[in-house]
Amino acid sequence: MEKYWVVIRNTWNEMTTYRLSFVMWRIRVFLQLLTVYFIWASVMPTDSTLFGYSRELMLTYVLGTQLINSIVFSSRTQEIAENINSGDLSIFLLKPLGYFKYWFARDLSDKTMNLAFSVVELVIFFLILSPPLFVQTNMMLLSLFVFSIFLAVLLNFVIGCLMSMIGFWSSEVWAPRFVFYVIISFFTGGLFPLDILPKPLFNFLELLPFTYLQFFPLKIYLGQVGVADIFKGLMISGVWIGILYTGLYVVWNKGLTKFSAAGR
Amino acid sequence: MSPIISVRDLKKYYQIHEKEPGISGTIKSLFNRKYSDAKAVDGISFEIEEGELVGFIGPNGAGKTTTLKVLSGLLHPTSGDVEVLGHKPWIRRNEFLKQFALIMGQKNQLWWDLPAIETFLLNKEVYDVSDLDFDKRLKELSRLLDVDDFLTVQVKKLSLGQRMKMELIAGLIHEPKLLFLDEPTIGLDVVMQKKMRDFIREINELKKTTVILTSHYMQDVKELAKRVIVIDHGKILFDGSLSTIIKKFANTKVITVVLEKPVPKADFSEFGIVKESDPLNLSISVKREKVAQVAEVLLKKYPVEDLNIEEVGIEDIIREVFEAKG
Repeated sequence: MEKYWVVIRNTWNEMTTYRLSFVMWRIRVFLQLLTVYFIWASVMPTDSTLFGYSRELMLTYVLGTQLINSIVFSSRTQEIAENINSGDLSIFLLKPLGYFKYWFARDLSDKTMNLAFSVVELVIFFLILSPPLFVQTNMMLLSLFVFSIFLAVLLNFVIGCLMSMIGFWSSEVWAPRFVFYVIISFFTGGLFPLDILPKPLFNFLELLPFTYLQFFPLKIYLGQVGVADIFKGLMISGVWIGILYTGLYVVWNKGLTKFSAAGR
Repeated sequence: MSPIISVRDLKKYYQIHEKEPGISGTIKSLFNRKYSDAKAVDGISFEIEEGELVGFIGPNGAGKTTTLKVLSGLLHPTSGDVEVLGHKPWIRRNEFLKQFALIMGQKNQLWWDLPAIETFLLNKEVYDVSDLDFDKRLKELSRLLDVDDFLTVQVKKLSLGQRMKMELIAGLIHEPKLLFLDEPTIGLDVVMQKKMRDFIREINELKKTTVILTSHYMQDVKELAKRVIVIDHGKILFDGSLSTIIKKFANTKVITVVLEKPVPKADFSEFGIVKESDPLNLSISVKREKVAQVAEVLLKKYPVEDLNIEEVGIEDIIREVFEAKG
């Protein structure tokens, strides 16, 4: 396991190499946080509810999406496609190193760095604006929340890897990937809470994997999902991880055959 | 002792689909795809014993790199038997992967934004190298390659030569039994090429590492390899010692003559094939057994200022091998 720890450490080092771009990155994240907050703070009435959300819950939701972005969506899996396209994949295949484990370690490195800074930024944000936030104190819900985030991390990793497998067949990976993430950012609940959508549509979305990346963990935190539904949701995302992982395995092996056939 | 590599009748064909030019060709190829085989490697066999240093030579696209890639498990052969270190390479078992290294002059494994030492430390863990061995080997390798001062410099700030040396260290920190070098001296200046060659010879002699080397630079092969395998069009044209290849194909020597005044070129053609660079300098390739006699005649009959007798260059011999069989 030591080797993956070194991968994590090296990735941290790599991220902090360019101080200026590192600082700019964090400023961008912080500005985004402010934008989202001020939009919703001005939309939400102070004394009544909107779409069934009180001001406090809605602001917690939108700030929560920012935090989850830094945990679930920060990822390195897009680099897999570059790796395949450039042929650098060969270098990994020559070593006694698990390729996906390597990338998962890179992902974890990215996430921890992101999370650490996000927490600091959120604290600063909190101190300056002292926004009305909902604090969950139920330990069971909190641990289910953490668990659901863990599943979301796995789910996003598998989806990200799958998208990068396009690299075996085409060198144009960036565009489809970008479009894909723009589309799913709607389905994940990253823009607004999904339960303000019409019920039939919402019920359908619950069967897709995407809601479990962001919306579902946040709803658990807010205490708005019953225990039975929580377990149903965890089951569905677990099943999706299984399906997509199997898919990844199949596509990866097909891709490797193709990779070696082309002899890059 | 069984050989470290044994290859029997290895074939590697790539399927390529043929497409007529233009849009109509594109549409046709959508419905009716014609495939043809590109025979990168077409039935080669050889064995390599532990501790050998073998040079693969051949023109671009001859099948050298494809062969190395099959041997290192990157490619699945179309047919034939391959055994490397007792394993079928393409299964890529960890025990196999830990015992060799493939270093490609045109690909790098070093982390670009970090000092090379960070990559070495990662490889230390990947290959389960103990702290003691790691320190010892790193010290030794960086001394041999003279890069002590650069270990903590960001890789992207290193020169090409320094980077190539670091690539070698990264590939050798687990002390592989078998080392594949694909164009290790590509792009390096003459001095650096020489250093590289000295280093490769040293690890072959000191550590008994089996080395297989491909190179465009004949100098690399000439200085390093006792045995060469000449490949072209996916087939082995020659497999044996360098001295054999010279004996077999170099049945001529070259006499170069510097004249005091011009003599018609035709006068010399009875001795052998004449090449003329300018009217006063010519070289004649002469059958080995006739060299002494020809030299004598030349000195007697013509206004010769200087005369030299040389072996044919290895480059010329190899070219002859390709022309004779290809």
